[in-house]
Amino acid sequence: MLLSGKNAVVTGCLRGIGRKTLEKFAKQGANVWACAQHADEEFEKFCADLAQDTGTWVKPVYFDLTDFDAIKAGLKAIFADKQAVDVLVNVAGFTKDSIFHMTSMEQLKLIFEVNYFSQILISQYVTKLMVRQKCGSVINIASISGLDGSHGQLAYSSSKAALIGATRTMSRELAKQGVRVNAIAPGVIDTNMNSLVPEKVIAGHIKAMSIKRMGSSNEVANTILFLASDLSNYMTGQIIRVDGGIK
Amino acid sequence: MSEKVLSGKNVIITGCARGIGKAMLENFAKHGANVWANARSMTPEFEARCAKLANKYGVQIIPLCFDLTNKLEMKSVVKFVMKSDLKVNVLVNNAGVNYNALHQLTAEAVLREQMEVNFFATFLFTQYIVKLMLRNGSGSVINVASSAALDATSGRAAYGASKAALLCATLALSKEVGAQGVRANIIAPGITETEMIGSMTDAVVADTVAGTDMLRIGSPSEIADVAVFLGSDLSSYITGQVFRVDGGM
Repeated sequence: MLLSGKNAVVTGCLRGIGRKTLEKFAKQGANVWACAQHADEEFEKFCADLAQDTGTWVKPVYFDLTDFDAIKAGLKAIFADKQAVDVLVNVAGFTKDSIFHMTSMEQLKLIFEVNYFSQILISQYVTKLMVRQKCGSVINIASISGLDGSHGQLAYSSSKAALIGATRTMSRELAKQGVRVNAIAPGVIDTNMNSLVPEKVIAGHIKAMSIKRMGSSNEVANTILFLASDLSNYMTGQIIRVDGGIK
Repeated sequence: MSEKVLSGKNVIITGCARGIGKAMLENFAKHGANVWANARSMTPEFEARCAKLANKYGVQIIPLCFDLTNKLEMKSVVKFVMKSDLKVNVLVNNAGVNYNALHQLTAEAVLREQMEVNFFATFLFTQYIVKLMLRNGSGSVINVASSAALDATSGRAAYGASKAALLCATLALSKEVGAQGVRANIIAPGITETEMIGSMTDAVVADTVAGTDMLRIGSPSEIADVAVFLGSDLSSYITGQVFRVDGGM
């Protein structure tokens, strides 16, 4: 198992990439603080069953990324467990697409609140602990739209670009203290986030890929697993595209 | 998921006698792959090492001793691989030669030798093996380039250019064969604890290390582990990418 004995904080565990990551991490031997936006019965049961099946512990932690006090309280609860935190995966994020001229400042600020400011806050808290431990791996989930731009995603793409910039700077500052920081830029992934995108648009994206299909949450989670594990020990400051080779 | 990440995979790795390739051979075997291990020449030491690792990890390791620049030898080796019951799932082009010299002091022979091994021979061998992968409908090609191919390092004009050529060819290949199930990616190691370091002065080594965010040299095993990921199905949606394994340069 690639994550035996590691403890991980994963955000956005209710569904999609976060859920898959949570599941994969536990199956690979990691204990997980599974962070989600709100309490949910199905989710609680999922966590309990997963822990039982894998012989790890999985603790649900709830906070909304627009509520910084709630984030701090959630992190305090995690630190109160007095365990090492080896891995932080910032998966949670959201988008509401609109073209450049139609994007309101309010919308832009909300998306940055969730996709950028909250991520920085969480990373600041958790890496403080990692620096003390002299080891840790932070994985930020960005997007290829943060690298390439994307029609109708002014707010989302710029928030992810900001996260990529932060990833690079964090990696430089924290490397000598033993903390690695990398980001993943998923391409077109078969998740809820893309369920609203018109089929015609998806087909256009697929045409531009080397691997002619959408990616799965599982494939993104596999890359997260790699960056969380010791297989990537000498990698930091990298932005890994998981995009089927899109042009 | 206690299964090893490379269980059931058959892998060709070039340049296994020492350095990064030596670590790759071990790490691929450790993660459950069968390996055709290339080295330029068969030595009792290499043969013993292959047998020992095969035994230790319960996999097959088949030495493939030939000189990559010898086209006849390459052809016969490809035929040998084709006749095997094992299908090739992964090709790791690791073998390479390196001479450091300032651009203005690079002898033509040295320039040509690096191109010959690092680019032409690797390109040709990849053509043969990808043909087999296309027949199988799947495969992963991992080409080992260098940070020198991306950063244009002083003293590494010829070496960096040969690796930059390899990089471009790999990315083009990824676009051509992706639809048919074959992936192709690049690993660009930074400063790594191999004999290549011996070709650098202490001052250059110290300077390079100071230029890494991690402030240390990478180990061959750390490079090999990234190849394990790219060879495994964990990276099934990753193609045409350059993986810098350089401690943050």
